[in-house]
Amino acid sequence: MAVDKKVPVTVLTGFLGSGKTTLLNRILTEQHGMRVAVIENEFGEIGIDQALVINADEEIFEMNNGCICCTVRGDLIRILGNLMKRKDKFDHILLETTGMADPGPVAQTFFVDDEVSTQLRLDGIVTLVDAKHFALHVDDSEECKQQIAFADVMVLNKTDLVPGDQVDLIERRIRKLNAMARVHRAIKANVPIDTVLDVGGFDLRRAVEQKPTFLEPEYPFEWAGAYSLKPRLANLVLRGGPDSSMDVALVDISTADVEGVRGGAERAVRFWSRTPDRLTSGGAITATAKGHFLLDFSKEKAGARRVYPLSVPRPGIYALMIEHRPEEYDLRIEDAEGNLLKPKADKYFGSGHSHDETVTSVGIHEEGEVDMDRLNQWMSKTLQESGVDIFRMKGILNIAGQKERFVFQGVHMLFDGAPDRPWGKAPRANDLVFIGRKLDREKLIAGFRKCLR
Amino acid sequence: MPEVKLATQKRFHLVDLWQLDGCDYPRALQWSPHGEFIAYGSSDGTLSVLEAQSGLVRWRKSVAAAITHVQWNPRRPLVALGTERGACQVLGATGQVVVELPANQSWPECLSWSADGELIALAAGRKLEVYTFQGERVFQADDHPSTITAIGWNAGGDALAISCYGGVHIRPLQGKRPARHLSFKGSLISLAWSPNGDVIACGSQDCSVHFWRLSSGKDSEMTGYPSKPRWLAWSPDSRLLATSGESTICIWKFEGTGPEGTRPLMLKGHEDLLTQLDFSPAGNVLASGSKDADLLLWCPDVTLRPVGMACLRSEITHLSFNRDGRFLAAADSSGLLRAWKVIEAS
Repeated sequence: MAVDKKVPVTVLTGFLGSGKTTLLNRILTEQHGMRVAVIENEFGEIGIDQALVINADEEIFEMNNGCICCTVRGDLIRILGNLMKRKDKFDHILLETTGMADPGPVAQTFFVDDEVSTQLRLDGIVTLVDAKHFALHVDDSEECKQQIAFADVMVLNKTDLVPGDQVDLIERRIRKLNAMARVHRAIKANVPIDTVLDVGGFDLRRAVEQKPTFLEPEYPFEWAGAYSLKPRLANLVLRGGPDSSMDVALVDISTADVEGVRGGAERAVRFWSRTPDRLTSGGAITATAKGHFLLDFSKEKAGARRVYPLSVPRPGIYALMIEHRPEEYDLRIEDAEGNLLKPKADKYFGSGHSHDETVTSVGIHEEGEVDMDRLNQWMSKTLQESGVDIFRMKGILNIAGQKERFVFQGVHMLFDGAPDRPWGKAPRANDLVFIGRKLDREKLIAGFRKCLR
Repeated sequence: MPEVKLATQKRFHLVDLWQLDGCDYPRALQWSPHGEFIAYGSSDGTLSVLEAQSGLVRWRKSVAAAITHVQWNPRRPLVALGTERGACQVLGATGQVVVELPANQSWPECLSWSADGELIALAAGRKLEVYTFQGERVFQADDHPSTITAIGWNAGGDALAISCYGGVHIRPLQGKRPARHLSFKGSLISLAWSPNGDVIACGSQDCSVHFWRLSSGKDSEMTGYPSKPRWLAWSPDSRLLATSGESTICIWKFEGTGPEGTRPLMLKGHEDLLTQLDFSPAGNVLASGSKDADLLLWCPDVTLRPVGMACLRSEITHLSFNRDGRFLAAADSSGLLRAWKVIEAS
């Protein structure tokens, strides 16, 4: 069997000042004994003699057919082609993009162009995130979101310049944009070299090694509280707030502490994506296994007091999850006499919700066997309709009648899938991640469910 | 080596002159105008000028970066050299630097003498510069929309065709003729101007060949290539355009109303992707090289079968006929260099 002699290429992205050049210099000065070539797209600051440094002008080439998945980087095709015209091939190629670069055409170049794809492999996209200026960049710039969305590895850099809890918030937010990438915190880009080189991000066999991490930003609510409730003895009371509706859920939990709240939140997340029951003032919020409600204020007088009875089947500890922070709506729980009931424990969740992100990760976990024909139909329809907005996707599928796991990955409309190792004793299930712009979570989930037998 | 059935009515023998092994990756290979030397530039920065009949090194020059281009001046004992450092030099008969052209930040993409040897065109990035053979700059343009991918002189040496993303720019260097732009919605990667000056043919990134007839302004596109047609070669009489892009050589015949509406000649013999095409300057004999190290000769006017063959060790990177077509040299990616005498079998 032929050994894969393709030269790995690592793409470094990140806004101007995020530390790309610092990381690059770090990689180059490390004693790794590799022959490295560097392709630079920005004003070069590299002062390393041992590496060949080439300047490139970002040139995005659309093909005659106008298909977005065929949009490639002409400069890279030329330069990479020339770099391969050597007997002693380079061990690794580093490509530093401009701060404003769209990683899509960069990645596609490695799959669409046959001269490039036969000789080189895209090892991974490493995105530097400047903790200090993150908020400034991410809210104003689609490019910044794209660079995060495309990443296999994110280096959250300059963490020494911001307080720890803010770093946590940033990490949550970038994980919400991209649940697939590994995140490393760094000061002056001081990450171990092996965390950014040879990551196998586009290697089908290795692409699914890393399970996506859906952290707290995945919670679609901002606050949850644990209450000791008895049947027909409590009400949720609120007044008007910023939105004309609010999602709530009520589930029973085991303990009246933060752990209990967290457990309730975990359960609520699973049914939150289903369509909630709509309630107007007076309608009961019932604690059931899937009790998810939408409080609709649209037909009610602004600022009016609204009361929703909390209906529980038996006395016990219950967690109430609400979409917004309680203080925004003057929200409280009262007993039958109108006395305030204080939560036994409560927890605010990540601010993921408060940003109306255009770029998100959608994770699907479903048990059951996939019908290959239906999957193919659904996948090609999905890519046709929203391939432009799907930046990356990866997954492991449990295909009916197959002993092996089926692994796949894709960039925009480019799709690559193959049987992998046998399931063996591992539980058979389907795990998919889509990262992209304006993704319709419910539609994706519903579409995938229809592929199950 | 494939089991190639050679044509019966016409055959050529490639008689070994010499071979040279152990060179670095070849980046340029060219016969001197009078056929006494072969210049060979490699990626380790060595330019070797070899005696054509013996393969012995006449002189050698080392530069600090990989060589990208070597071009003999067609009329004078000068050879132009481009490197990955962006430097271009014109060297004299023994390798001494005669002219040092100003270095560019980008690698030189193209370096080409005009047919009369008076001018040399240098393209680097989006910039095109034309110098006299003495190094005096006579023309400059940097308004190209993207990096220049190929250039071609017309036979008279007074106009240049420049391909890049979005089409071909034709720039007259003398007189008052206006510049022309032949528009194309995509990226062009190769260019060949027919010797009679009427047709500009280009290969494109999206696996097609596009050509423009300059007299009528008519243009056509030939699609369906499985891979990029990086190599295009005109027969000296401008009747045949040989194109790469797969293992079969596709030849478009510019005769009558063709090639539009006509079937191209399909020359089958290679088993892997074509990596080189060169027409003999003396007649319509075509040499082709492929990724799997095979070299075939063809007489497309006579037969669709190959008329001669030879084999190297790995991907053929360069093929070059001398001026009268009686000699042929080839290099492969392993650093093997061979030269042959081309003899028609009686």
